[in-house]
Amino acid sequence: MKNKSLSLLLVAAIATTVGCKKGYLDTAPSNAISLEQAYATIAAINSGLTATYNSTFDFAVGNGNTGHDNYGQKSCDLANDLMGQDMIVHSQGYGWYNRDYQYVEWTLPNGTGTRSDKVWSFYYNVIRQVNLLLDNTKNQAVTPDLESARGQAYGIRAWAYFNLINNFQQTYKGNETAKGVPLFIEPNATSKPRGTVQQVYDQIIADLTQAETLLNGKPRASKMNMDVSVIRGLRARVALVQEDWTAAANYANLAKQPYTLMSNAVYTSRTGFSTIGTSEWMWGTLITDAQATIYASFFSHMDPSQLSYAQLGGQKKIPNALYDLIPASDARKQVFTAPGTGTANFPDYCQKKHLVPTIGSWAADYLYMRASEMYLIEAEALARKGGAEAQAQAVLQAMVGLRNPTYNAAAFTGTALINEILLQRRIELWGEGFSLFDIKRTHSGLNRATGAGNHGAPNFNPIVYTQPDASPLFLMRIPQRELDNNTAMTAADQNP
Amino acid sequence: MAGIATAQSGRTVTGVVKDVNGKPVADASVVVKGTTIGTTTDSKGMFTLTSVPASAKILVVSSINFETTDVSIGNGVVSVTLKASEDDLGEVVVTVPYGTVKRTAFTGSSNKVSASTINKQQVTSVSRVLEGLIPGLQATNGGGAPGSGAAVRLRGIGSVNASSSPLYVVNGVPYDGSISAIASEDIESIDVLKDAAAANLYGSRAANGVIMITTKRGKGAPSLQGSIRHSFSSRGIPEYDRVGAADYYELFWEAYRNSYVYGSGQTMAQAGVNASNILTGSSGLVYNAYNVPGNTLVDPVTGKLNPNAQLLWNESWSDALFRTAQRTNANVSISGSSDKANYYISGGYLNEEGAAKFSGYKRYTFRASVDIKATKYLKAGINIDGASDRRDGLFAGGTATSNPFYYSRQMGPIYPVYERNLTTGAIVKDANGNPVLDFGTTAQMGSRPYAANSNLVGTLALDKRQQKRLNGNFNPYIEISFLKDFTFRTQMGLNYYAIDALTYQNNQYGDAANVQGRSTVSNDYQFSLTGNQVIKWAKNFKKHNVSALAGHENYKYKSRSMSATKTGFSYPGQTELDNGTVVESPPSSSEDLQTMESYFGGVNYSYDDKYLASASIRTDGSSRFASDVRWGSFYSFGLGWRISQESFLKNVNWIDEMKIKLSYGESGNENIGYFYQYKDWYYADGLGNFAPPTRLANKDLKWEKNRALNYGVEFTMFKRRLQGSIELYDRRSSDLIFGRPIEPSVGAGNDVLENVGQVKNTGIEIQLGYNVVRKKNFDWRVDFNISSFKNVITELPKAQREKGIISGTKKMMEGKSVYDFWLREFAGVSAATGRALYYRDVLDNNGKPTGNRVITDDATLASFYYVGGSAIPKFMGGITNSFRYKNFDFSFLMTYSYGGRFYDGNYASIMHYGSAGTALHVDAKNRWQKPGDITNVPRLQNASGQETSSSRFLLDASYLSIKNVTLSYSLSNNVAKKIHLNGASFFVNVDNAYIFTAKKGSDPQQSFDGVTGAGYPPFRTFTLGATIKL
Repeated sequence: MKNKSLSLLLVAAIATTVGCKKGYLDTAPSNAISLEQAYATIAAINSGLTATYNSTFDFAVGNGNTGHDNYGQKSCDLANDLMGQDMIVHSQGYGWYNRDYQYVEWTLPNGTGTRSDKVWSFYYNVIRQVNLLLDNTKNQAVTPDLESARGQAYGIRAWAYFNLINNFQQTYKGNETAKGVPLFIEPNATSKPRGTVQQVYDQIIADLTQAETLLNGKPRASKMNMDVSVIRGLRARVALVQEDWTAAANYANLAKQPYTLMSNAVYTSRTGFSTIGTSEWMWGTLITDAQATIYASFFSHMDPSQLSYAQLGGQKKIPNALYDLIPASDARKQVFTAPGTGTANFPDYCQKKHLVPTIGSWAADYLYMRASEMYLIEAEALARKGGAEAQAQAVLQAMVGLRNPTYNAAAFTGTALINEILLQRRIELWGEGFSLFDIKRTHSGLNRATGAGNHGAPNFNPIVYTQPDASPLFLMRIPQRELDNNTAMTAADQNP
Repeated sequence: MAGIATAQSGRTVTGVVKDVNGKPVADASVVVKGTTIGTTTDSKGMFTLTSVPASAKILVVSSINFETTDVSIGNGVVSVTLKASEDDLGEVVVTVPYGTVKRTAFTGSSNKVSASTINKQQVTSVSRVLEGLIPGLQATNGGGAPGSGAAVRLRGIGSVNASSSPLYVVNGVPYDGSISAIASEDIESIDVLKDAAAANLYGSRAANGVIMITTKRGKGAPSLQGSIRHSFSSRGIPEYDRVGAADYYELFWEAYRNSYVYGSGQTMAQAGVNASNILTGSSGLVYNAYNVPGNTLVDPVTGKLNPNAQLLWNESWSDALFRTAQRTNANVSISGSSDKANYYISGGYLNEEGAAKFSGYKRYTFRASVDIKATKYLKAGINIDGASDRRDGLFAGGTATSNPFYYSRQMGPIYPVYERNLTTGAIVKDANGNPVLDFGTTAQMGSRPYAANSNLVGTLALDKRQQKRLNGNFNPYIEISFLKDFTFRTQMGLNYYAIDALTYQNNQYGDAANVQGRSTVSNDYQFSLTGNQVIKWAKNFKKHNVSALAGHENYKYKSRSMSATKTGFSYPGQTELDNGTVVESPPSSSEDLQTMESYFGGVNYSYDDKYLASASIRTDGSSRFASDVRWGSFYSFGLGWRISQESFLKNVNWIDEMKIKLSYGESGNENIGYFYQYKDWYYADGLGNFAPPTRLANKDLKWEKNRALNYGVEFTMFKRRLQGSIELYDRRSSDLIFGRPIEPSVGAGNDVLENVGQVKNTGIEIQLGYNVVRKKNFDWRVDFNISSFKNVITELPKAQREKGIISGTKKMMEGKSVYDFWLREFAGVSAATGRALYYRDVLDNNGKPTGNRVITDDATLASFYYVGGSAIPKFMGGITNSFRYKNFDFSFLMTYSYGGRFYDGNYASIMHYGSAGTALHVDAKNRWQKPGDITNVPRLQNASGQETSSSRFLLDASYLSIKNVTLSYSLSNNVAKKIHLNGASFFVNVDNAYIFTAKKGSDPQQSFDGVTGAGYPPFRTFTLGATIKL
């Protein structure tokens, strides 16, 4: 009987204490903050913004595809150059970008592994990140720091849409009513139609205008952040495509003001194009050893001086046809391997412009915008708008003259001047991601030089040598996943 | 012999043998203990023994399906009652949540696998044992990586995005540890609970069924048992047939020529010359394995290999990377019991080499279980077990160059393992006279177009890819009996599972040579704690038998991980982070926490052992969901009718036992793979920044529900010669957590999780066991099972209904299964151009298909269709034949799967159009060559841009596997006694003896969804073993 009572007592005791404490079922990750916390302080807002900048060079951002050619902005830039006429692929190597060079990548049936899906997903991911910032801070008390953060967010959005529309549509002029890309200005998930090219450019201009107002006169934390000069640089890029020559010239002129062009010594050093501190860099990203994406990085595909995809057969070379157009007195000739001096790692014509600062380390910064481009935009816009030829020559002289002491810009006038500026663009901005957009913008079509030292055997087979202006091959195809899931699109929204 | 010597003075003994239901047992063996004098029973269970020595006191009565029983020879007729043994369908008890139930009183659906069956197979993870033995269970082969296990699905595919794996419960506690940490020698039985009535008491974790593992407890006289097994393994699936060097050069010449002709518009003649020139050049295959100049290797006109060319080398990467592996497994246990206590203590050692060099698994296990009956009303017990293991060679999967299976398959036949002298073909030696490996770099024989700068023979030897794991369980309980019919039991289950992993890429060769080596060290541990308190009540009044239980359970799961990566290792083999100089991934740490709280109750009722009813309910709250939706309740009920107990069947002789049963219930699936997906989180990016979420949160997210109906019949017939069951089920999963794909323009990843969608699995399972022969010296039993299920998506998210959800090679649509292939439809090869042909929809002005279709030779324009059906087999199962002749046992288990298809990505990857450096399947020799050729292999063309997935690579997934063949010999008790043993047995066996598939090299059993990758293939194992009992 005693046992029985004891047992009962025990059971009763346990039964009354079994219920768990309140809050037992509320758990949280140890390495994250909530959305509310993320926008509660300016420090948190800026930390999120830094994360967004970091995502522009991170691996597998956007669609999560883990191909070693999916590392944000520079992976898009490299594809852009490989589809142009001024970059030759030495051999198959590991195969990365082969299909871009051969113009088969963009026409491939879609999946997350294809370039168009990677590019599309990357920019839209960045757009959502800044839309979250803009949406969650819109009712906050205005402070200079908040204005700065919001200004950058507008700038990043404009930059992303500008890249998207130029990848997924032909150039602006003459295609204003052609299909655009879905416009998200809020972080919602509602399906959006393609709209028109004009609508996309209107949004870009609106965002850049906002950004310019918000950032004007404000300092920035580092050159990883956009400031007003970067916004003006973007504005100049956009105006050039829109053929708004006055705006292009004005904004390019304003944008370049705070910067000094790099010296020839820096230009031809290992660091000129891989160190954010370089004087003429306007915007880029600092990449430390801890942030580098190793083989899946721009320098892995470009720099054969250390073990990289470039060294493993994927060397990038300048065609003899363009190389020969660079005068011997021009310092820029030195960033390409002179014919007859090639080695196994650096064959003839192999580029030496984009190199990691230190062999044995992947720490190498990415360049997104620099002052020389502003000189070129300003010169081209002035030359094209008419009545400003002398000014155009002066701007060109200021930039090219530094590289080549015997250069005389005044020797070029009229169409010859414009062609000279376009040639200087090809030389100066080689490997910086402008080729295909320029081919589309200038209606030049694709003309890959052939013969010794140019495209074709013994170099990697380019398959495609020429394409007419506005070729459908210049258009990325809308990712199949977009067409499949976007209720505001049909199969007819696909690019040709 | 003793029997002969005493025959003269013998006497006669008669008797009858019956089962517990009073039915006679025919063909039972009756032997006088310690002699060879014996007989068998007749159809009425009667026996007569003559010449029984006067000294004989005991008879040993045995029969298949019954426990062997000793009876005393008294005066008069000996009456023997045999209890059914647990080794067949007549198993006595079923392990269910929070207890056991007599099989005859059980209304649910379950199957049991006993220790003797488990021990026939040489498995490191017991998850591999179940395939072919449990009707309704589908298993992958799990690959052959040392220490790996198989994935299991019960009764179809119950979920799409959340887990479809059953819940593992070990000794009554849901288990988060490593299954391979449980030595299979320690397992007493496995019960697989398949329906809602059986599994419902695990509530929100039971939707995909429950696998209950019970470990051994001490039983009988104290004994010491030891066993040792030694095995030899080699890959169980052969490599695909690939072309040799001569064919390879000719085919690539053609691929290059065609590229110049069809890609760049050159003339045939010009293209032929260019192709010959480029063939072994830097933008061709780079290597020339012949003794003639590269540009003369293949004739520019005929495309034939130069007749004067002699091959300089011919090496096999497979031979260099794979081996016959050895495996040793030794176990020892001490066990025993008295009426107050029982104990079981064991230790085990396992050393398993991988069939791929540099891979292996080593494990040490121990276990101690004790149950004590302290007083009349107090019982207590504890189980403590631990395992320490180490896995080496955790190779990357998929297309990574460091995956030896992919690497050796993809490597073209002309690329040597060792660097060669280009003139003589001799292996190049270093200063010390050792052969030099070829890494495929420009400094050696050239930049190899496939996987330059790699040689796995060299790098895998220097690299480390290992895990050391520690898995421990602490499992005490106390049980108190009180009042008259009550018991209270409280149990705790604590699991600690730690993984210490090292990935080191060496500092001399390969991927990390440029940064002087790379080492990633990670430390992960998880800790889970389950505590429950259960009150049970049981009462019999007259013919009524009632039992009930009520309980509470809480669960806490913590998972913590830390990792860091450094480069710059100056001294070879020094892999600790302290030895590195550059931080590549800064140290990171994070922790996840999950909690659950549950209340449950159940009632069982039977009347006269004839009419059975049960019901249960469980309420769970889970931290995985937002507070307003986190609680849910799940119920079930079951009914049974033991029709054989009815008077109208009592006299039907051929029916021994028959039960009709029905159950219905609801359970949940909370294992959605995410802990906090109901809310937006800004995760730290490792650099102090909190990054915006990359996926949309959903605050309404909750568990999936599963409503299951089960009905069927179980029977034992023809004097226990035939046992079987037939069951049908209808499982409806709703509120399915769907990774609903979203358009990438939203910018929030690829999908969002939602509770939408429903899937229905309906199926039938038949299991039969038949004793073909039951003689004194010879038994033959056949066990057969077959099951089939149909999977149908009954509801998809509204927005996706029209377009469906495309994921990889599949598309989900209402009315289709979750694994229906959605691919371009291959329409053969154009006889005129040699291009692959596909079907394409004709679109109207709105971009909608008109229903007409045309053929296109442009893969980029091909439309997608439901072609080739589904990855789900039509039916599957297993057959076991068991023979006993005297003391020899022989058994073989075959498993089979019929129907369904799979996408053979491995085959596709070596059926390319001419991707330099990559091996080609011999089928490529059938390629189109000239107009008029009729073939189904398109023309080769380097950089064709036409490489794509299509129905061309869908193969029949049917297979027949001889999974296990075992021959064993047990010493008879007499002989054993003489050498002072309590028993001894010896065996030889083969696991994965042979698998028949549609195509040599294919592995259709790799996944449930019919997609294959370049994983670790399963291996075939020959084993010799012995067990000795003292």
